Amino acid sequence: MTAIDQATLRPRAVARGALLRRVRKAASDILPPLALLLAVLAGWELAIRLLKVSSFVLPAPSAIAGALIAKQGMLLQAARVTAVEIAWGFVLSAVVGVGVALAIVRFERFGRALYPLVVLFQTVPKVALAPIFILWFGYDLAPKVVLIVVIAFFPVAIDMMHGLQSVEPGFIALMRSVGAKRGEILRRVQIPYSLPHLMAGLKVAVTLSVIGAIVGEFAGASEGLGYVIQLSSTQLDTALVFAALVAVSVLGLAFYYALEFAERLLVPWAPKYDPLHRS
Amino acid sequence: MPRAPAREKTTRSQPSSEAVLSIAPAPTLAETAPLAVAPAHITARGVSVDFAHDGMVQRVLSGIDIDVPRGSFVSLIGPSGCGKSTLLKVMAGLLTPSEGDVTVAGLAPGEAAKRHMIGLVFQEATLLPWKTALENAAFLLTVGGRATPKDVALDKANEMLRLVKLEGAARKLPSQLSGGMRQRVAIARALALDPEVLLMDEPFGALDAITREEMSRGLLDIWERTGKTIVLVTHSIDEAVFLSRDVHVMATGPARIIETLPIELPAHRDEDTFNLPAFGEAEAHLRRLLIQGHAGERA
Repeated sequence: MTAIDQATLRPRAVARGALLRRVRKAASDILPPLALLLAVLAGWELAIRLLKVSSFVLPAPSAIAGALIAKQGMLLQAARVTAVEIAWGFVLSAVVGVGVALAIVRFERFGRALYPLVVLFQTVPKVALAPIFILWFGYDLAPKVVLIVVIAFFPVAIDMMHGLQSVEPGFIALMRSVGAKRGEILRRVQIPYSLPHLMAGLKVAVTLSVIGAIVGEFAGASEGLGYVIQLSSTQLDTALVFAALVAVSVLGLAFYYALEFAERLLVPWAPKYDPLHRS
Repeated sequence: MPRAPAREKTTRSQPSSEAVLSIAPAPTLAETAPLAVAPAHITARGVSVDFAHDGMVQRVLSGIDIDVPRGSFVSLIGPSGCGKSTLLKVMAGLLTPSEGDVTVAGLAPGEAAKRHMIGLVFQEATLLPWKTALENAAFLLTVGGRATPKDVALDKANEMLRLVKLEGAARKLPSQLSGGMRQRVAIARALALDPEVLLMDEPFGALDAITREEMSRGLLDIWERTGKTIVLVTHSIDEAVFLSRDVHVMATGPARIIETLPIELPAHRDEDTFNLPAFGEAEAHLRRLLIQGHAGERA
């Protein structure tokens, strides 16, 4: 409150007031979830100690932190491997998803044939395909990337399709009336219109990519965070399992926020065009 | 269409950068003796439109005859569902009639639209959210077979934004503009094509009363300065009387034109026009017609 008061009372303090306000805003965004997280961790730590839970059933947060520090080299190396899988898988999911959406919207007849198949394919439990991909593509990067694409392209395709079709029909009629062809309408109006929707789809896809990478490594791998989780759980090193889980979460968060950042750069007008807040 | 080639020649010989202001025929001329001076700019003969709904065919327009003189300002007025928007869509070439013929400047409407002879304004401004007001106004010029280079289009759009008194907001995004301003960008976008005909479907329907009146006066001003032929679809009796030279009253069941009322008001109109006895008479007459049309529907 004081920052705002100062800013309004003394013009020279405006810049400082604005900065202060921004810091306060950031703090008010971060502090509540952080406080809650700390409370949960404290409760967890306390419960483990009071109830004397065995560390291979559920390790205390302090034990997990210990494992993170002790095995940091190994975890970092594993995280690098998984990050590469996620990155490739996510990028290819985006390419496939956008391609499917464009094909369905641009070529109506082909779209009518393809769309039901895409939906049908979505009902296949993709996780179950992991062993087959290992069989087909070996033990390295390829089967993980394929599994991620199969899991993560769907939200991209659906959101992009929805975006391409969200242009007001009146505007398309207007373009047609002055002689615009379908390709031109798609390129100059529908694709830009779809970008905010595409970004929403990509955010779902990136979290699915993390899942895909871990599942892919479960099915067969010799490195990566999924492999670490599996190996250490067979060795009853539960603290390391949780340490690897923390690493996976950090990785997922990093990818997610990189995408949010990209969204702000690519479609700065998007929030103002939120369908819920259209004036 | 034997006239098409000749028409193409005359439109091509017109430099596209010619100022709109210079091709203004006096609007009053057309009013005195529309059919004797020149053939009507827009004609419809026996136009019917059928829509199919679940195998049922519904006639939404039936046997429409209409002549819009060149340089005139006419309104189509009627209760919702009377087919006035459908008729406008037919004139714009967005909809092909099931029966009958429509011509715009002697051409099929679709052909006229491709040649930038028709400007369209809808109730929603339908601006592209990532483009500025100026880029939106220029957009249609850069599209289709008759696309002009971007700088030429932007110059033209700038001129049109001045005409709709929006030059100060040229660099703003649609989300930063009020509803009235957005609609003025849409009008500038239509005018930037330098069309002969401006077709408007309840262009001020989504605006508040004060903005509506302001926009009406602005539109009249634009019409006086450019001499475009304007067809306005509206459900506001006031708006129709204030703006039009002829008001075509439509009724439902079957959708048709029940009367064409010439508005006997001075050519130049302003706030005082609302107080003239003739204004009140025309308004009362139209209101009676609309109520009758409504009652006829229920009977």
